[in-house]
Amino acid sequence: MKKSQLVPLFIILIVVLIGCSSTTDTESKSDEDTKQEVVKKEGKDITIAVADNFISMDPHDTNDTLSYSAQKTMMQGLVGFDKDMNVVPVLAKEYSANEDATEFTFKLQEGVTFHDGTPFNAEAVKANLDRLTDPDSTLIRASLFEVIEETVVVDEYTVKVILSEPFGAMINTFAHPAGMMISPKALEEYGDEVSQHPVGTGPYVFKDWKPGDHLTVTKNEDYWNATGNEVDSMTFKPTPENGTRIAMLQTGEADFIYPVPTEQAESVNGKDGIMVENAPSIIVRYLAMNNMKEPFNDVRVRKAINYAINKEAFIGVVMKGYATPMDSIIAPNTQFYSKQEQYKYNIEKAKELLTEAGFEDGFKTTIWGSNNSSTLKGMEFIQQQLAQINVEAEVVPMESGTLSDSIWSVQNPEDAEIEMYYGGWSPSTGDADWGIRPLVGGKDAFPPSSYNTAYYNNEEVNSLIADGLATADLEARKQAYAEAQKIIWEETPWAFLSVDDTIFGKKNYLEGIYLLPDGSLSAENIEIVQ
Amino acid sequence: MANPQTAEIATELSKGSENVKKSSPITEFWKKFKKQRLAMVSGIFVLLLVIITIFGPAIAPYSAEEPDYVNVLQGSSWDHLAGTDAFGRDIFSRIIIGTRISLFVGTISVLLGAVVGTILGLVSAFYGKWVDSFIMRICDVLFAFPGILLAIGIIAILGPGLGNVIIAISIFNIPNFARIVRGSALSVKATVYVEATKSIGAKNRRLIWKHIFPGTASSIIVNFTMRIGTAILTAASLSFLGLGAQPPTPEWGAMLSNGRDYLSTSPHVTFYPGLAIFLTVLAFNLLGDGLRDTLDPKIKD
Repeated sequence: MKKSQLVPLFIILIVVLIGCSSTTDTESKSDEDTKQEVVKKEGKDITIAVADNFISMDPHDTNDTLSYSAQKTMMQGLVGFDKDMNVVPVLAKEYSANEDATEFTFKLQEGVTFHDGTPFNAEAVKANLDRLTDPDSTLIRASLFEVIEETVVVDEYTVKVILSEPFGAMINTFAHPAGMMISPKALEEYGDEVSQHPVGTGPYVFKDWKPGDHLTVTKNEDYWNATGNEVDSMTFKPTPENGTRIAMLQTGEADFIYPVPTEQAESVNGKDGIMVENAPSIIVRYLAMNNMKEPFNDVRVRKAINYAINKEAFIGVVMKGYATPMDSIIAPNTQFYSKQEQYKYNIEKAKELLTEAGFEDGFKTTIWGSNNSSTLKGMEFIQQQLAQINVEAEVVPMESGTLSDSIWSVQNPEDAEIEMYYGGWSPSTGDADWGIRPLVGGKDAFPPSSYNTAYYNNEEVNSLIADGLATADLEARKQAYAEAQKIIWEETPWAFLSVDDTIFGKKNYLEGIYLLPDGSLSAENIEIVQ
Repeated sequence: MANPQTAEIATELSKGSENVKKSSPITEFWKKFKKQRLAMVSGIFVLLLVIITIFGPAIAPYSAEEPDYVNVLQGSSWDHLAGTDAFGRDIFSRIIIGTRISLFVGTISVLLGAVVGTILGLVSAFYGKWVDSFIMRICDVLFAFPGILLAIGIIAILGPGLGNVIIAISIFNIPNFARIVRGSALSVKATVYVEATKSIGAKNRRLIWKHIFPGTASSIIVNFTMRIGTAILTAASLSFLGLGAQPPTPEWGAMLSNGRDYLSTSPHVTFYPGLAIFLTVLAFNLLGDGLRDTLDPKIKD
């Protein structure tokens, strides 16, 4: 035997020994430095690390919340959302609607100019809305504004929007970042290329954008609503790798990162001047069940599934505590939310319901979902929970292209193969309508046209949704949605899981930067406090 | 320890050939093999794995699939030797029960590849001419793909799952065996005793199976052992990518993948399954090395 063969043997030994020693030291928490000193920041240039690439800088042609996050530093809408997703006036001083929710009038701020010097006035608003409602438009967000029939310039600072049909959620739609105003001159000059040359009225001016690398905005010296605390520049860096993002924050290469991977949130919080903050979002995490398919067409089976899942354990194990249990189909921060009574974890009751439905021996099913590690963990958890009531669920993780193909290429609802689907939803208008209608709004919302993966169709709910849209009267809308939520909760088209927390990490000298409940970043009011 | 070891090798050999059953080559083999100390240790380790494979679920202190949400991500302790994973499952038990899967997938996929590859290699060497060129060119094409890439391609067509992993791995093992068997079959074919048998009018089938095939057995055995290590590694890689074992199967590669979110906070979740893969693959490779040194007629001591 050769001497050199002893070397690998040695390696085995060493590895085994290391294995034995690297065991107990993992959990040695120290909470002593929660009140840490504010760390020093050189200069006033901020770097923000985000998880994905930016897609477009044209708000009318964007459908990802991340691109909106950067756009919002440069552009503004007539109205916007505050920290809790309440609608607040921005470029409009005040607004009013007629009773049928068909006419909306906006009084505009005076003395506002776009970055290129174009004055902001009623004509500018009309140019933007006409662009969105142009019948030939291929803009992604045209559908949000398709109910607008005409935009009328009343005087220089008053604009009236006339709808073709009553639409109660219109003000929220205007607050959606898709309603942000672009300089009419830039629209004319660049056409659709405006997605590379954003010009707005916001506190920061576009500087440069290298897709995949960085996007930089600089301070707008002539900002109409300046507080004097603006930073000199902000650079957004797409950093998909969780570990890298955390490292950038630790080394000071980034001043702000989001999202923070929940697994590491606790271990970095309170060290090196890092603060990890979380807040309830309006993102709901659910398990849709195909209501048209055996055995989920029986409400008792659906209820049994709801009772069989331990929501507290789900939040603890899968969400690492950064979530709250769902108690309606929409999250508490969504407009017109009405609290329902939770399906408390109860295996006995679940088994009883299954027996009643004729499935005392359980059944086999599949859970579809995407293949990222947190979704996988969620699906595996559901699998374990359902095993308790003899429901044997096969976890089928799919790559996102395959997944959307499997769900949205179905032409005939009867042919849909989907049984259970683990997903999440963030209604970016902050309104109940967008949290209910696309997901459980009956036949009109069935794939491929919308997101009703549960194939839930209840005439009563459908008409309540229609009622909610037919008026601008807040009380009437509230009532319609409360009733709809009650029925949906009772009929359980989904297993209701949790409302996610938004979670970000920042250096403790930053103020005024936060995540909105829909998961988008609000950096336009950022300041450095030393 | 010596007795079961002999028995083990005897059965291994009898798989390949009837003729080797006579005691003299076995004793000779054993005499030589005993000197390969590292291979011996590896052999014992492999034997241990086989025992774990048989008795796994009975030895494991916990269930592999039963979650315990109170004790998630615990480090090593006397209760949980290798700690617990994100669902509170005992990693040590999962590794033990997972041994069966890894060993099964490794052995079966190489066995399938070996059977098909050996037949192709023998046919190729015996008939020569266009049959030979045809088979060998196909093998060349398969060789042009890196193994794991070919496996991913096959899985993409067949869909994920352990069964398809076995198929994928056996397919990329085929050319390997075909080429090696062809090589040694060619040299056996040229020997005098094969010529002699041919001259007394033996049929082709008899020539191939009774006379040429036994001559290639030793290279098949060596290659078989060496490939198992690679096969286990490939199966684990595919499961890591989510193409192989589906949850909650305690497959080592899948366990490794589950732990990657906790690398910085709870490294033990990835460490122990990784260690299991490392040791198993190393043991099979060293055993293969030892067998080669023992069985290769060119190496004389």
